[in-house]
Amino acid sequence: MTDNVTPYVGSAAGNRGYMRRFLNLEPINLLWALLFLVLIVLVVGPIGFLIKVSFQEGGNGSFTLDNYLEAYGRWRYLQALINSCLLGACTALLCVIFAVPMAWAVSRTNMPAKWFAWASVLGAFILPPYLTSIGWILIAGPNSGWLNEGWRWLTGAETPLFNIYSFFGIVLMIALNAFPFIFLFTKAGLDMISTEMEEAAAILGSPTWYTSLKITLPLVWPSILGGIIIVFLESIALFGVPAILGIPARINLVTTQLFQFFGYPFKMEVAAAYAMPLLLITISLIWVQRLLLNRKGFVTQTGKGGERRELDIGKWKWVLLAWCGFVGALAMYLPGYTMVVASFSEAWGKGMSASNLTLANYYDVLFVSRLTQEAIVNSFYFAGVAACGALTIALCVAYVVTRKLVPFANVLAFLCMAPFVIPGIVLAIGFYAAYAPPPLGLYGTSAIIIVAFIARFLPISYGTAAAGMRSINPEMEEAVRVLGGGRLTAIRYVVAPLLKKTLFAGFLLVFIPATRELSAAIFLVGPSSRVMSVLIFDMTEEGRFEAVAAIGCIILVTTTFFVWLGFKLVGRDFMMRTNH
Amino acid sequence: MHYTRLAAAVLGAFVATGASAQTSTDELYEKAKAEGEVTWYVAQFTTSIAEDIGQDFTNAYPGVNVNVIRATGQVVYSRLAQDLRNGVAQADVFSGSDQTHLISLKEEGNLLQFSPENGPKLRKPYLDFEPDGYWYTTSANPTVMAYNTDLVTAEEAPTNWTGLVDPKWKGKVAMSHPGFSGSTGSWAVLMRRLYGDEFFEQLEANDPLIGRSLSDPPNTLVAGERAIGIGTLATVTRLKNAGNPIEIIYPEDGAKLTLSGTAIPANAPHPNAAQLFVNYLLSERASDLMVTYGLQPMRPEVAPPPGAKAIDEINLASPTQDELINGVQPVIELWRRVFGA
Amino acid sequence: MAKLDLNGITKLYGEARAVDDVNLSIEEGEFVSLLGPSGCGKTTTLRMIAGFMRPSSGTITMEGRELSSARTSLPPERRDMSMIFQSYAIWPNMTVAQNVGFGLKLRKFSKSEIDRQVMEILRVTKMDHLADRYPAELSGGQQQRVALARAIVVKPGVLLLDEPLSNLDANLREEMRFEIRRLHDEFGITTVYVTHDQGEAMVASDRIAVMNAGRIEQIDTPFDLYNKPRSHFVASFIGRTNLITGKQVGGAFEFDGFRLDAGAFPAETAARTGMVDFSVRPQLLRLLPEGSQPNGKPAVQAVVDERSYLGENWDYLVRPAGTGKALRVSALPSDRHEVGATVMLEFDPEQMVAL
Repeated sequence: MTDNVTPYVGSAAGNRGYMRRFLNLEPINLLWALLFLVLIVLVVGPIGFLIKVSFQEGGNGSFTLDNYLEAYGRWRYLQALINSCLLGACTALLCVIFAVPMAWAVSRTNMPAKWFAWASVLGAFILPPYLTSIGWILIAGPNSGWLNEGWRWLTGAETPLFNIYSFFGIVLMIALNAFPFIFLFTKAGLDMISTEMEEAAAILGSPTWYTSLKITLPLVWPSILGGIIIVFLESIALFGVPAILGIPARINLVTTQLFQFFGYPFKMEVAAAYAMPLLLITISLIWVQRLLLNRKGFVTQTGKGGERRELDIGKWKWVLLAWCGFVGALAMYLPGYTMVVASFSEAWGKGMSASNLTLANYYDVLFVSRLTQEAIVNSFYFAGVAACGALTIALCVAYVVTRKLVPFANVLAFLCMAPFVIPGIVLAIGFYAAYAPPPLGLYGTSAIIIVAFIARFLPISYGTAAAGMRSINPEMEEAVRVLGGGRLTAIRYVVAPLLKKTLFAGFLLVFIPATRELSAAIFLVGPSSRVMSVLIFDMTEEGRFEAVAAIGCIILVTTTFFVWLGFKLVGRDFMMRTNH
Repeated sequence: MHYTRLAAAVLGAFVATGASAQTSTDELYEKAKAEGEVTWYVAQFTTSIAEDIGQDFTNAYPGVNVNVIRATGQVVYSRLAQDLRNGVAQADVFSGSDQTHLISLKEEGNLLQFSPENGPKLRKPYLDFEPDGYWYTTSANPTVMAYNTDLVTAEEAPTNWTGLVDPKWKGKVAMSHPGFSGSTGSWAVLMRRLYGDEFFEQLEANDPLIGRSLSDPPNTLVAGERAIGIGTLATVTRLKNAGNPIEIIYPEDGAKLTLSGTAIPANAPHPNAAQLFVNYLLSERASDLMVTYGLQPMRPEVAPPPGAKAIDEINLASPTQDELINGVQPVIELWRRVFGA
Repeated sequence: MAKLDLNGITKLYGEARAVDDVNLSIEEGEFVSLLGPSGCGKTTTLRMIAGFMRPSSGTITMEGRELSSARTSLPPERRDMSMIFQSYAIWPNMTVAQNVGFGLKLRKFSKSEIDRQVMEILRVTKMDHLADRYPAELSGGQQQRVALARAIVVKPGVLLLDEPLSNLDANLREEMRFEIRRLHDEFGITTVYVTHDQGEAMVASDRIAVMNAGRIEQIDTPFDLYNKPRSHFVASFIGRTNLITGKQVGGAFEFDGFRLDAGAFPAETAARTGMVDFSVRPQLLRLLPEGSQPNGKPAVQAVVDERSYLGENWDYLVRPAGTGKALRVSALPSDRHEVGATVMLEFDPEQMVAL
């Protein structure tokens, strides 16, 4: 059988040793170098430039501290920082109020129709925060929102019941989108606690509510805190809601202030300096969160097993169910419904009537306006390319890392995960600083957005890809190789088919958020590279809510479709993993 | 790309030396067709009007498409400023809403000097806006006040700007933000001259709803979200003519009028299409179209839109160019200080 | 089918020597097992033979061609070997037939030739009725057979097996031991088999290399390995044994509490002086009731400490009089002695192996 073996020179050929080593060198080392280069461009470049630019004078590039003096030298700018932190804290608190009872009900009680709670959580994921806000402007505009009109009509009051253009309005909007984080974290924690913990208290005479408060909740406190940190970070880095509600409400936040620095007069260097607290807060809080969740805490001590029985909570189960429905209605059904109605209306102020019904908004958006057509195409195109790109890089890195093919492979993994601690808006400014100006001059191109999206979503891709790779026994590939197939043959015939599901999940997990990303896009779009989210933001300034609602509904429908596709092909839990 | 940029520069220099008389429109059209498209940075018109104008231009000159980039005055200028800073040539035509932007662009040598065929055919008051030919008046859209006729009767409605700060309208005023909207910036300069810094403090006390664009408040009024507010004459006229419950108030202390010009950046990638397009904006055909949106016509041949007074019948108050150059940024800063955002 | 030589193979992980100067020469068509406890370096050695790892020093040659050395290593796909993995590594995305035919496809056989050979090998491995199943639908034993068929069908120069039976339950394991040997006898492929189970190694192998701490302790046939262990480790690792130390003093070996005449030992043992270690298999010791007549073999008085009945035999722990060290004795079910009873413990010096 030796005739299948490529002729091979024995060791006697001394001076040809180097040549032979080269011939036997696996291309994997080249791949490593290439990946390293790509990640430098994606991650190190933008952050490096962000820091560099923050110490540079605009125009001539000489070293200066003036940017920092200007960024923190005005009370208004400091106030924005304080406002953002306050916003984050309030949002996290509200999320806890929304989500912890839901998580408890789903994980530990005999509440009926648990899918109801899941539907609320999913709804919150499907509707991006800026669309929730637009829906709620129609609901709770202080004078014309139907909620407030109804309130006035009912009570004859002069003041509105709830003004969406307020600090609390912003808090509510973000909380309605972010509560799933706390829900998932808390539920994951609760799922780990054996019922015996509670029974041990019950046998000593503790009533159910006391046990839940004194035994169960403290046990999951680290998980809740982990969720709180994520919500806090999401809130302070969000652009859409503060921009849509904060400007009319006259509340300045870090992100809207950053946007102002990108306006006229253009102060990118000051923006870079001003973005630093956001970056530092995120890095340190994520670090704290890791400590919290990794601690060999009370939760893991009980082991994964332990039996869990549902707690019978009597008629309270209906209260909890109603709460789940209430949160879902606020998060998704009310704003979603209002948006759908508005998208079919001639004027949203006129209310629902046959004369107000029209398809013109959709017709304009889909068939007339070149702007919206372009934006829709761009959104899907960028998201698709970014998802493929991120997935390719993530898979290559995951492969190299899990197969330990090269030394220092972990450096690659670290770089892939690094964008996780960089807020999208900060990353976008970094990309702008690094690649928009000459010599690269990517300003306003599709490329800069796609590349920024790849970097932004790389951690999600990497998480998925690494989990997929770990699930494949390396012997699967070795079996190919001993039979005479090279590494690429192994990847093509064995690894790739086995990763099909992972690949698809990884694609959707990036594609879905990328079609709606606003925070990173807003700084990078150019005249011909606008996306739906940015267009919606632009259009709200003219008060054209009907057209905005129509685009919103298009986003809603497509997102729902892709989520459904994911459920169908990947599995029900594919968006719900707490891989944060 | 380099070639086009070079061509633009050469052409710019050529026109600037005055060696060439105006190029005939037909010749321009031929060259424009070769360029195929024109990118229009615009703040003077709302998105849908701008898109319609672009479409009408393409109907008039098939083969030349208009790529509309609409944003508020400050935002659209900051885009152009970023383009220039990054050495990117994207904009062919710039229709901002703040004259100070045009002035600084001209001073920095970033504008193309040109002389369109229709340049000298405008209505009289628009002719002297820019004698050097760096831009041409394409919009004269006074800032007025308006009220929702369902919520406010004609007798109750305020008659001048100070109505906005009358405590009786607390919580019922719709405004726009000078930090975003160019026209609102010049309006704020006028208010500061007329009524001082207290005006903004009183306005703040009245808790107005602040949109970003000057097109936003009239929509807010129509929706019934607020009762009185400011807006451009064109927007209010158009909404009124469409049957919405809105009425114009011509302030007795003077509607604010700042002329808005359209210019061509020196580095425009499609300079011929750009000139053809500006010439179109100055045409009777464009004026006819603008009138249907409630906009004032640029050409004497076209009558003003129904439901609105003609420019010369309106009591106007306008800040001077010097006031604008020195006043817009400080008044934005003042606004942000007072309003907190 | 090929001859395989390992010359001074060493694998270093930092300071640790995972494999230490292993020399092994495997004849064409021979079946050699690498046997040892976990961590002894046997799998590392196998992976170096396969080409998944490069030795730190030494060479591996096949038919005289150098495959591996510290400087270079031919990639696994160019070694003309095949391998069966601990996890079977059956590709779940392919049917049984596709799995088995994969190696043939890589060797660019025609479609019809592949089909013919696949069906042939599936018939030999009694898997032909499952050709179109997916691996998820197969039992562990069936998956194992697929792995075997897939490895054999390409007629490799060397077949490598890495603990192939460790995931099977006891009955199947027994059956597959013989199956592996049967297939080896049928195809005569040079085979290297890694296992920690001496039973597997004994059943299947022509020769066994016992490894410990990275080194080969002894290479021999199963029979010689059991009956002529050359080290403590081999003696105690292969089967059960009693290790006792004696000192030759005046024509007799003095053990702890008893002595045996040196003349009864084989000549070469009797010639040794000083301290000598002996391996005494439990079944080579006999228990006789107290007061029985010696039948020519030396016997000492002893007390039964513990006993357990294992069905096929008795397992006694007896303590010769005047000693602290108890010896293990395996006796026929009929040899019953109560705990605490005094018995005669009979030695067979002929069969006591001096280490």
